[in-house]
Amino acid sequence: MEGRPADDSVLIARAVRGDSAAYEEIVHRYQQLAFRIAYVITGSAADAEDAAQEGFVKAYRALDRFRLDADFRPWLLRIMANEARNRVRSSGRRHRLELRLTESFRPGDAAPSPEAVAVAMDERRRLLAMVNELGDDDRMVIASRYFLELSGEETAAALGIAEGTVKSRLSRALARLRARVEETANA
Amino acid sequence: MPDLERQLTGLAGAIDWPPTPRLNVVLPIYGEVTGLAGRRGWRRWPYALAAGVLIVATLLAYTPTRDVIAGWLNLHTTIHQEQHPPTPSPRPPGQLGSSLGLGTAVTLEEAQGQVSWKIAVPSALGQPDAVYLKQPPSGPSQGEVTLVYGHSPDIKVSGQTGVAVLVTEARGRINENFFQKMIGPESTIEQVSVGGHAGYWIAGHPHDFVFTDANGNFHDDALRLATNTLIFDHNGTLVRIEADMTKAQALQIAGSI
Repeated sequence: MEGRPADDSVLIARAVRGDSAAYEEIVHRYQQLAFRIAYVITGSAADAEDAAQEGFVKAYRALDRFRLDADFRPWLLRIMANEARNRVRSSGRRHRLELRLTESFRPGDAAPSPEAVAVAMDERRRLLAMVNELGDDDRMVIASRYFLELSGEETAAALGIAEGTVKSRLSRALARLRARVEETANA
Repeated sequence: MPDLERQLTGLAGAIDWPPTPRLNVVLPIYGEVTGLAGRRGWRRWPYALAAGVLIVATLLAYTPTRDVIAGWLNLHTTIHQEQHPPTPSPRPPGQLGSSLGLGTAVTLEEAQGQVSWKIAVPSALGQPDAVYLKQPPSGPSQGEVTLVYGHSPDIKVSGQTGVAVLVTEARGRINENFFQKMIGPESTIEQVSVGGHAGYWIAGHPHDFVFTDANGNFHDDALRLATNTLIFDHNGTLVRIEADMTKAQALQIAGSI
């Protein structure tokens, strides 16, 4: 088993026994996800950083309440998202989430022409701009499901809604986005 | 997958997320009693304390090298540990409930002077043996008061903590979205009415309880005894009764408020 990453449950059990290196590994494993879900909720990198840091401390304190047979990601996401929402509430402001495309992204085929890349990038930019223009709930559910690639259960945990609500909210968000896309295409 | 969803999925690898910062996670060696060694490792705390001090000393001595190595490996994490007093034994020599992380021991009058609501004392239980007050940031925004009872007729005293009943009160409301999900498969939940107020009877061994405090903040709290629990709204105050009790006993205690 040498070189194979330890399962979450193994790390958690070690962390509960006081092994700080095990918890450090957990933090390392999930810090990007934690930071990004906090960023989706707060819309601010600074607030997301604070929320992720505090979230990991709270998760550590609550670790002995985590059932080792359960899935760790939804549990952690719920704590992180709670912390992010608390920050939004306590600061009394929500920054508008503005997602952007990375310039270095090369979509699609193995060796597309520069023109094809430019067209594809332009289409993607326009689509992302339309996502940015959606309401908070729509934008967050789309970002969680498609951009962070969370499962339905994880999205429900992060957004503080039931899994069934994730489906209905996502369906409505996609319908609104589709309408915008068609509007733009017909304009 | 419909085309729009395919396009959105295709954007996943193209989002320009802000760089994940180096997180500065400050861990307590021993958290509050809700923390790690509190319930699982209490018998070993003297050893763990010694080990913890050693870890802190090692970390302090080792930090620059760790950072350098973290930089090489792109590990954007900084873990610190703070030394806190060790979690006391579940059978502490001190005041009843002092091992449960309920906050600061106070008198009932002192607690009443610190919170905005009228603290409800169930007449079926009488005056509490101990009272604790937990204020923000560890407690909810308007504080949390816990009444601790060492004895109550027909209710078993916890062999580990010496506590029979806990009554915890805080301004807030149940967060319906999380409440059901948090209970876990080993517990059952049933809606009940307590004097016309909405409540829930949770049988089994629930450990967590999420509610929204008076300022709208989510508060994730531990159920200390992991026993049957009755939770209900009492004029804007959430009251939790934890004990090794039947539903009828719980409703009787709640009805005496």
